[in-house]
Amino acid sequence: MSESQRRKYTQEEKNRIFDGEFMPHIDSMYNFAYRLTFDEDDAKDLVQDTYLKAYRFINSFEQGTNAKAWLFRILKNSFINEYRKKSKQPAKVDYQEVETYYNSDDVDFQGTTDLRAESVKDMLGDEISNALNALAVDFRTVIILADLEGFTYEEMAKILDIPIGTVRSRLHRARNLLKDKLRGYAQSMGYKTDEEE
Amino acid sequence: MEKNGKPNSEDRKLQCSDVSKCFQLLESILDGEMGEEGKEILKEKLDKCQPCFEHFHLEQAIREVLKTKCTKQPVPNQLADSIRQMIQESK
Repeated sequence: MSESQRRKYTQEEKNRIFDGEFMPHIDSMYNFAYRLTFDEDDAKDLVQDTYLKAYRFINSFEQGTNAKAWLFRILKNSFINEYRKKSKQPAKVDYQEVETYYNSDDVDFQGTTDLRAESVKDMLGDEISNALNALAVDFRTVIILADLEGFTYEEMAKILDIPIGTVRSRLHRARNLLKDKLRGYAQSMGYKTDEEE
Repeated sequence: MEKNGKPNSEDRKLQCSDVSKCFQLLESILDGEMGEEGKEILKEKLDKCQPCFEHFHLEQAIREVLKTKCTKQPVPNQLADSIRQMIQESK
């Protein structure tokens, strides 16, 4: 980082960026942190750390670029570097599951057709939330970024440091895994599936 | 039984020739990644292919429930204040 970059913003500008562009995303940031850690205290610490880092490195934020994506990237990196190890609920990645899904093209759609849109709409928040939380962290993350937060594939690629093609395929697989979980709920709760028709 | 509450469903083909490709495409369209071209492809698929029609509505429903039911984690009251305070102290 050059000297000019390091001194890019005045104190007043820093405060304006921080309050105007960073703080408004605190709800999304906390939701993301909570869904990564499953713990209120860890989520709080993670968000706090992220904002402190954001302030410390504010000169590397370019005004006019997407502040939310920039913050999410810091949060995701902090989670990987610090919280994943000590998280009370170990964020264990089922590598078998990951590998199977990353390396195969045709496991895609078996059995996904029996889940009905109407059943999904009838589900309770807890069921949806549990299904999402049951996914391995890499899959959970892309669904959070895309569907809860509305990031584009390009933004997600930057947040996660992966190519756009990987975003697309990981998201697709995450959605199939989520549908598997939802189908499990649908069947156990007696929601209507095609099999019963 | 009227499956989707919409007319014309009997005109749609019941088998999709390339489910894997079509469904991924539909998901990209739902994600807003296909622009104007996406809208045309979508109309065509929804009019003509029953599996695509159902998959699209399922995916749409899942996105809606995720958005409405998984984003309401209440933020602790003092979080914003404590962040501001920590930054004041770090200056």
